Amino acid sequence: MIARGDLRRHFVGTATIGACLACVFLAAAESAGAESAGAETRGYVIAMVHTATYADTDTCPMGGNGGPVELRTRRVMGAGYSEAEALEIVANEGRDSEGNRVEAAQLFGSFGSGRGWGGLEINPGNAPYLLPDPHIETAQGRFAPGFNLDGRVDPDDFEDPETHEKGVDNEIWRVIGCFDTFHVRKPVRAYNENITWDAVLDGMPAWLISVSGEDLSRDGDVTVTFDRALNVVLRDATGGLLSGATYTIDSDPRSHSVFRGRIDNQILTIEPGDFSMQGESQFYAILRLAHTHLRLQMLPDGSVTGLLGGYQPWSDYYQWLAVRGETDGQIDLPGVYYAMKRLADGVPDPATGENTAISATYWLEAVPAFHTDMSGGVVSVAVGPGPKLSGPAAIQIVAPPSETEAQQ
Amino acid sequence: MTTDSAAAGRAATRTGRSRGRRLSVQRTLPLALGFLLAAPAASPAPNPPGDLSFVRLTESQYRRAIHDIFGNSIRVDDSAVDRGAREGGLLAIGARKLTLSAAELERSEALAQRIAEQVIDPRRRATLIPCTPNDAGLPDDACATRFVARVGLFLFRRPLEDVEVRAYVAMANAATHTLDDFYAGLRASLVGMLVAPDFLLRLERSEPDPDRPGTMRLDAYSRAARLSFFLWDSAPDGGLIEAARSGELLTPEGLIRQVERLLNSPRLENGLRAFFSDMLGFDEFATLTVDSSLYPKFTKNVEDDAREQTLRTIVDQLLHKNRDYRELLVTRETFLTPSLAAIYGVPLARSQEMGGAVPWVPYRFADDDPRAGLLTHVSFLSLHSHPGTSSPTLRGQAVRENLLCQIVPPPPGDVDFSFVQDTNNPDFKTVRQRLSVHRENPTCAGCHSLTDPIGLTLEVFDTSGVYRTTENGAPIDPSGELNGKPYEEITGLVEILRQEPAATSCLINRAFSYGAARTPTRDERAWLGELASELRRDGVKWRDLMRRITQQPDFYTLGTEA
Repeated sequence: MIARGDLRRHFVGTATIGACLACVFLAAAESAGAESAGAETRGYVIAMVHTATYADTDTCPMGGNGGPVELRTRRVMGAGYSEAEALEIVANEGRDSEGNRVEAAQLFGSFGSGRGWGGLEINPGNAPYLLPDPHIETAQGRFAPGFNLDGRVDPDDFEDPETHEKGVDNEIWRVIGCFDTFHVRKPVRAYNENITWDAVLDGMPAWLISVSGEDLSRDGDVTVTFDRALNVVLRDATGGLLSGATYTIDSDPRSHSVFRGRIDNQILTIEPGDFSMQGESQFYAILRLAHTHLRLQMLPDGSVTGLLGGYQPWSDYYQWLAVRGETDGQIDLPGVYYAMKRLADGVPDPATGENTAISATYWLEAVPAFHTDMSGGVVSVAVGPGPKLSGPAAIQIVAPPSETEAQQ
Repeated sequence: MTTDSAAAGRAATRTGRSRGRRLSVQRTLPLALGFLLAAPAASPAPNPPGDLSFVRLTESQYRRAIHDIFGNSIRVDDSAVDRGAREGGLLAIGARKLTLSAAELERSEALAQRIAEQVIDPRRRATLIPCTPNDAGLPDDACATRFVARVGLFLFRRPLEDVEVRAYVAMANAATHTLDDFYAGLRASLVGMLVAPDFLLRLERSEPDPDRPGTMRLDAYSRAARLSFFLWDSAPDGGLIEAARSGELLTPEGLIRQVERLLNSPRLENGLRAFFSDMLGFDEFATLTVDSSLYPKFTKNVEDDAREQTLRTIVDQLLHKNRDYRELLVTRETFLTPSLAAIYGVPLARSQEMGGAVPWVPYRFADDDPRAGLLTHVSFLSLHSHPGTSSPTLRGQAVRENLLCQIVPPPPGDVDFSFVQDTNNPDFKTVRQRLSVHRENPTCAGCHSLTDPIGLTLEVFDTSGVYRTTENGAPIDPSGELNGKPYEEITGLVEILRQEPAATSCLINRAFSYGAARTPTRDERAWLGELASELRRDGVKWRDLMRRITQQPDFYTLGTEA
């Protein structure tokens, strides 16, 4: 069990990252004024950000962590009940044969006010260190989407299923990949994130990308900038993101990240740097990445799609999950907490040496958009009609690629 | 107004009513049925003399009348009437040909109940009910009479006859006795008035015209209503009713005074919007279908915004800027919302608060932008398309019929459209190519030669109004020829249309027909032709056009077709 002192150090570590990132962002903001305007600047609005997953038969050799039923059953068994009894209790909405509520059958984060756990007036989802590590199964296998962040190819690193880059660091996937809800791959997205992104999208400032260069239809150096908008997104008739809409850039430097980048064969990449975007939403409160990598394909319809990765404060990710609780999230919060802490692989705390960040990769989609500055001047132009479907609407009931296709 | 002229007006009214009336069975039957349904406890009003005709209130006229009489806080949450039938290019003309269906009467009664409930609400009584009963649980003849006479004056657009007042008061008293509630009694009588033909229909009565012996004219109250519904799309206000009562409205000077007052009112915008909504067929938005899987940018918001964009542009150009009507066909000035801007493919800086009202931003398309004039608005382009494909034929037909008042005959019943509609034909990728083959059929060639040259130029806009340069990968050729004048692209087409004499005469004919709710007679058409010539020369300004029409004596007749 983690001590309260550990928790304090954890948050100190997070604050250190935040301060460090803020320095970088301020520097980036200062340098933004010196950015080359370029002969062409295309604007985009991000239609979807989603934890990148890749599940196959090798991912969870022990069978995985299951979903809410399996989680509750394990917990009830941990409280001394037999498996048969546990299954009956779970099926009976958490009550035993005499109708008494079995505390262990509850999912964390779903408590009503006044309820606690183990006699404590606290929601264990918010204080997972109060419970023992349940040792969830973590993802194995050969593939995971992402980037080789540390430049090494270690034995337990993954291989990106599309680029086949070796040495991929994606420990977030390792943590969550054996829960049923995350045990998916394109085009299916994790249930919790999918409904959450769709729900918060209309209430949070839009996230923007702009790409500047001499001629974006050709190979060459570019500047890639991420900003937050002052507006929420506009949707189209399918529920996806409306292509060609206009967004006003928020001048807040805390959501302004600039990268040197390059286009080769319509693949957009960047030189690693720090990224931060504030979401002002319940779930995506903030997305911060250190040593950020990007690989986006620029599609003929004007949209871009690909991966965004880097080292993310693992407490940020845990917070996303905890806010939604185990009912919606369908994960084991203490299990995830301990696994993240154990598998964190970046940004060590200078004082403790403990890693405060974990390698993470996100699917990212963005559609063409105009950007204006606060005075109304157009700074980025929407190019292309955009996709027929984007963002939350893009989930299609189509068969995922076969193992053979994926491994080619 | 002088005492003499007022007396003359009253005398004229009396004279008109002293004559025998002429009502066909077709007209009297639904009226009588309607009245019986509306006011079972009331005796019918005395039969007024003279010719009588009626025009259904439109949905917007109903709504505005209620709001003008009882205030904007009264919620009118349904439509009492269907949108009606279009005739001569206008619903307004069709409105004189239709009665009210049983279903509409049922809806009217339900809506009347909800409106009356709000009117007698304790929070509104001090404002809307001119007196307080001696005992709220008992009938009060005096107070009920004041209420019925005052409300009836505005609902029926004329003073109620004594017998009508007594009938509605009796209705109120009966309900008060039953419910032990004076206000419930008023509610009952108000419902009766709201479903009476005198409210739901504009009853137009005519009388001999003393200035033009042998001809008939609308009586003063009918004249007031025609003016008001034409210019304001609403019932006459107190000033107009008083001008009718005093006879002022029947004098040339009094008419000018009232017309100028109406033209200088902000309510003129309502009339302008209602007219162009009818002329441009915007009622068809109610059944518009655009395939969202093919045109995802066309949201419900866009549909609503598109209509508003065009009406807002018209109001801005014709009223606020006093521009020539013909400029509407070429102007690059308009107003956009964020959703519309995305369809038009232009940036639009916005400062919309989350959950706030949709911002309307003045916008001018660049000189090299293909957007110029109403034909390039999303409203026109989407309204005259098929759900899944654009239609040069429908768009060309709409230009001919709605803007030039020309008639395009319907296709014969045995025409095979399969080739034209085969958008996947690899050898004929564009609709221009497919229609060229279609026109080889001589049966089809005649009408398509009218519609297609216009519509094919508009093919650079898809069903949702998004600009495009290719169709199925093949380049779209927007060139064409209209009335012997060739053009290369859309801006050339709209400029030719701007100069087209029929554009002006069509507007003028439609405006007269809309206001009079009938087609003009032969003599009137001759006068309208002269007016068109003058306005082409002097400028087709909306207020001027309204002034000229409303000062023409023929405008206040039922016409020979009535």
